[in-house]
Amino acid sequence: MDTMKTSKEPHALWRFFSSVRLTLALLILLAAASILGTVIPQREGMVEFARRLSPAMLEVFEALRLFDVYHSFWFRFLISALALNLVVCSLNRLSPTLRRLRSQPRPDRTKPFEETPPHRRFPVSRPVEEVTVRAEALLHGRTANRARKDTTNGSFLYGERGRFSVFGVYIVHLSVLLILLGSILGSLTGFEAFVNIPEGDGTDTVRLRGSGGELKLGFRVECKDFFVSFYDDGTPREYRSTLRFVANGEAEEAAVRVNHPFTYQGIRFYQASYGSIPGNEATLVLRRGKTLQEERTLRARIGESIRLPGGEGRFRVEEIRGDFMRMGMGPAARIVVQPGEGETIPFWIFLHPERVEARFSGSFQQFPKLNPSAYEPYTFFLKGIEKSHYTGLQVNKDPGVPFVWAGFFLIVFGLFITFFMSHRRIWLRIEREGDGAVVSVAGRATKNPVGLERELDHLAARLRDHLGTGERAS
Amino acid sequence: MINTVILSYITFVYFAAFMAYLFMMVMGKDGFGRVATGTTLLALAGHTVAIILRWVESHRLGIGHAPMSNLYESLIFFAWTIALLYLLIEWRTRNRSIGVFATPLAFLAMAYASYSPNINERIQPLVPALKSNWLIAHVITCFFGYAAFGIAFGLSLMYLIKRREPESGGNMFVRLIPRTPLLDELSYQLILIGFLLLTLGIITGSVWAHSAWGSYWSWDPKETWSLITWLVYAALLHSRLIRGWKGKRIAILSIIGFCCVLFTYFGVNYLAGLHSYAKA
Repeated sequence: MDTMKTSKEPHALWRFFSSVRLTLALLILLAAASILGTVIPQREGMVEFARRLSPAMLEVFEALRLFDVYHSFWFRFLISALALNLVVCSLNRLSPTLRRLRSQPRPDRTKPFEETPPHRRFPVSRPVEEVTVRAEALLHGRTANRARKDTTNGSFLYGERGRFSVFGVYIVHLSVLLILLGSILGSLTGFEAFVNIPEGDGTDTVRLRGSGGELKLGFRVECKDFFVSFYDDGTPREYRSTLRFVANGEAEEAAVRVNHPFTYQGIRFYQASYGSIPGNEATLVLRRGKTLQEERTLRARIGESIRLPGGEGRFRVEEIRGDFMRMGMGPAARIVVQPGEGETIPFWIFLHPERVEARFSGSFQQFPKLNPSAYEPYTFFLKGIEKSHYTGLQVNKDPGVPFVWAGFFLIVFGLFITFFMSHRRIWLRIEREGDGAVVSVAGRATKNPVGLERELDHLAARLRDHLGTGERAS
Repeated sequence: MINTVILSYITFVYFAAFMAYLFMMVMGKDGFGRVATGTTLLALAGHTVAIILRWVESHRLGIGHAPMSNLYESLIFFAWTIALLYLLIEWRTRNRSIGVFATPLAFLAMAYASYSPNINERIQPLVPALKSNWLIAHVITCFFGYAAFGIAFGLSLMYLIKRREPESGGNMFVRLIPRTPLLDELSYQLILIGFLLLTLGIITGSVWAHSAWGSYWSWDPKETWSLITWLVYAALLHSRLIRGWKGKRIAILSIIGFCCVLFTYFGVNYLAGLHSYAKA
């Protein structure tokens, strides 16, 4: 007995996942969880917020992954539950839908005529056969899949359209699944990374977002050229990089700019940002002694050994930085002086010494390594550094994208069918009454009852015009 | 610039239209109704001209782009979609009472754009990320969707007012509101249109984000809030189509949905994210 019962009645779990109440609950829960994620600072933004929490609260937040809601186990669980719910609901409704789809139209049904309003039931003074032929011609223009049945008492006509519109909702649900599938595929087999490449330089490694790990591309990407243009108000108008890809000795060139990425070996390169970095050359001023006559301006490349003007020895620029100690103190260069004999003397010089002085007053005298006059009788000044650009590239691979795009296309198609197309069935009954006939018009629609009423009224009016009413003839 | 001057005057034309609809509703005189429709048509015509002038002006400045790129331009466009959609509905339903709820939405959007001190009405050049053909498709679908939800919101308010009053009695205002089944059906139809357009808006935004930033979805607050809005309306549709909810419950869900739309549009600006250019 028990087995009989279970085979007929669906399993409790199946029943649970086939309920639309569950769908509604999941949709609302997902919305609420999403709100949580926009209110609580996520990922990189969390540090400031986390500092204000008590240690106990912080632990709760960490355990519930509230700093990364959208990638947390419970958010994924909700999405999986919604997907399962969707599959079970669709399967549950599939067999009635299929039955409906396969059902043969029956023209001689009486039930649809039960509530026919008076203006859709009218007598005509022509014989049934003629009325039927004319009515059929009229039905021809607006329906597909017609049927006719003649009896001794009269004729029945049937026509329908949009039979397949009942599948619209399955298309929508399928496309939601496709989008989810695409996103899972993308997160399992794809990656999101970035790399900064100085103009004229290249790399074969990129840095992953999130984990920060390194990833070998399997080919080399070089930035041959970088270009940026500005509007009059100083905001960037356009920036683009000319990239060169090298794999197995073969090279390919391509330009990327914002909104126009380039794909190489399945990996997409996006122009994401740019910036400037110090180049290889500094402009220096050397002053010998205290007098101004003995001042010389010269340009020095990194590592280039230059003779001091007085012949006491040589010096070189060892290093150039865009922002000393990354504290807003501006560009700096490290000078190493090699006197004729004795130890080398290294020290830093600054483009904006006043900034250093403001921050660390007296340090030029205090620390020999910051003293521009460390090698008497010379004083070194930094007048400028060469700047060059680097291009910031977003480097992504996402094999799930085609599935997502297919889902996007299908969901629009499916929603359109579901919302605006309906399975409309129209019945005409032509009853024999003396020499004439009585015509009745009825219909059913899966959606848009107002539209159906309008069509039935219109059809009834057309039939009257075509056939002439009984009253007029008599 | 002449276009911003015209637009600031249009604000008051919408207000005049609202007053005319209100007089019609309070006094029950059809004459006011005709004046109201005429005024709204006039406002929409001037509004359209001003938007075209702004477009032309941007080309004259050498930074030509469709006027849909910052908060000012989007508000102007939002008001335009509401006015256009409302007039279409008035024409289709031959009922003017919806105007008293729709024109104030257009007026408020225009007034906020023209008279808020925080909104920059200058024509600004496009940053590189916005230079895309997806901009127009994204903005048009989103804002027509918002407008459909906005008018559905107005209809839901009308529903809640109408259902509390008896069928025959009540004051003139309530008597002129259409019967509740009609309100219910009409707001549902608008929600269907809005949902389809919101879906298209999210999709176009997503495809665009994929070509601009490399990811079709990055949980940016505006993206997330558009998804929240989508989920709320999806819940509404399921509760109506499968569970047979009608009337009051649907009206309340539609009001909640429109609150989500407003938060997606304005509230998100207080949260950091990728849509930063839409702030000012």
